[in-house]
Amino acid sequence: MSLAFLNALECTEPHADAIWDIAWTANDTAVSVSADGTVKQWDSTSGQISKSRPPHTLAIVSLSVSPDGRHALYNSLDGTTCLWDLQDDNILGQHASYDRAVEGAEPSWSVSLNPKGGTYAGTSGSGNVNIYSANPDSFGSRQLVLSSGRNKHGMDCKYSPDGSRIALATETGQVFIFELESGTLTSTYSTHAMAVRSLSWSADGQLLLTASEDKRLILHDVRSGPSGKPGSGAVATLTGHSSWVLSTDISPDGRLAVSGSADKTIKVWDLAARTAVSTIQDSGEVWAVAWRPKPSATGSAGAFVSGGEDGRVRWWRSAGAGS
Amino acid sequence: MNFAHEAILDDVPLTKRDMYYKDVPLFKSQATVDRLVDDLAATFELERADLNIRATSKGLICGTGLVIHLFGGEMIRVNDSEGSLIPAGESIENFEVESDISWVLVAVFQTLCRLQLACHPSLPGPGIIITGKGYPDVATRQLVKTLSDNLPLRVPILALVDGDAYGIDILSVYKHGSSSLRHEREKLAADRVQWLGIQMTELAGLEIDIDNLIPITKHDEKKAISMLQRPAAAMPTQWRKELTRMLHTRRKAEIEILSTAVAGRYPPGSPALLHYLLRKISYFIDRSV
Repeated sequence: MSLAFLNALECTEPHADAIWDIAWTANDTAVSVSADGTVKQWDSTSGQISKSRPPHTLAIVSLSVSPDGRHALYNSLDGTTCLWDLQDDNILGQHASYDRAVEGAEPSWSVSLNPKGGTYAGTSGSGNVNIYSANPDSFGSRQLVLSSGRNKHGMDCKYSPDGSRIALATETGQVFIFELESGTLTSTYSTHAMAVRSLSWSADGQLLLTASEDKRLILHDVRSGPSGKPGSGAVATLTGHSSWVLSTDISPDGRLAVSGSADKTIKVWDLAARTAVSTIQDSGEVWAVAWRPKPSATGSAGAFVSGGEDGRVRWWRSAGAGS
Repeated sequence: MNFAHEAILDDVPLTKRDMYYKDVPLFKSQATVDRLVDDLAATFELERADLNIRATSKGLICGTGLVIHLFGGEMIRVNDSEGSLIPAGESIENFEVESDISWVLVAVFQTLCRLQLACHPSLPGPGIIITGKGYPDVATRQLVKTLSDNLPLRVPILALVDGDAYGIDILSVYKHGSSSLRHEREKLAADRVQWLGIQMTELAGLEIDIDNLIPITKHDEKKAISMLQRPAAAMPTQWRKELTRMLHTRRKAEIEILSTAVAGRYPPGSPALLHYLLRKISYFIDRSV
């Protein structure tokens, strides 16, 4: 079975360096962050820049947008975290997570905005996930430390769609799930032996897809059983990439997943069939991929946006009926 | 301070190593002597040589076409087979350039002298290889600076360092000077030095897979982030990009990685490093003309 995706649109002017993270917002804009230190919001119909942040001195490594598309949280290489109001175009908060004057401060790497608002998470080099206030009057004040127990660099973290859990992926390949209300570690998965670079939750929070330097994506069942036991873990392995898998996202209807790889391709996977249904050739490493959050019209496989080494945002639409 | 005073009065130069050995229990480590000497020099706004204290040399020079004449008549004929110890800058009376030196390579480790690179037939002309053995000492930097100031501009001065934070920092010491000798920086910064390699971003072109690269350590990470905070004058865009890419991929490129390059590219039995250097030195010579 195969699906065709067409390159519907390309941004009118590229970033000066690689795009390292990307999002498609509920307002149908795309937001991209780059090694060139800039954050840009794009109109998904024209491909033009609608808003842009002046360049930070260092690369931006992580991006997380709110479900309503109003806010973008982004973090730089040295751990400067900012919250950008995309509507009013102002910075609501800025946090120097590396500031050693604050007791126990750890520079953040990957950041994730709580979909319910109020807090955001940052991974550290020591295997912790730090939970900070996202409120403008107390932005960056640390509220909770979730410890994985392993002193390893945290590559990615993502809140579950209902905001009750958070997943952490480390550079040794382990994946940890914490429950926020109790602040406890509820599950550990060691399905990968090499770094996991990206995580994606299914919309219903039952599945977690991991993308690893071992060239595979693994789908994990992360439901808590009635007895409270953590989900059974790996239920599917997606193979086909010939180099590191850098980024992944599960489609809003849960049927498909998209992945970007260092092998310079984008693959779309059918999760039930566990196979790739589309492979798109890019010119360089594909660092970031994200589905359009609005469910697609009947018959259409949907749309996603990608960003990679050449600094160009590209929008892709299914060649099937409607979109 | 007494030792320095004696050295000036008696006109007997002293190396920092000599000083350390005069009273090991007092100084406890070479690094203490080094720091004290630098502090003394800075306090009196003198240079270390004015205190008649020489740098202890550890650098080597090999190649052809250069003779170093020392005060007192001694002469070092730089040769292609064995490295000669680089003398302290203050002891050098003059340099004699015997043949047309076409290039200078500054390297971190000494096996390059054994590669028979200096007179290689594939290169447009002979060259000089200077080995600093890690972070270069003052004598080595003085020599690179002197060559940089005096050789014609068509002679590229190239540094071969690991594509990691420490390699780039060593490159920076040659090109911009060291931060601990800030008051002497003007004398030792050799701005002509260019980065020959090895860079992470060129590895894909050499068919070296990202999986073959070594993971960075926490030290690399801290060092890289601290270097990225340096002002633009001391951290060119190309270096920033390499450090940034290193931090993002969490891999670094070390010179040894060249040996994993696709074997079929090179004549059998020839080291990949030699061919890499021949190609790149030729490239820089062409660009300098």
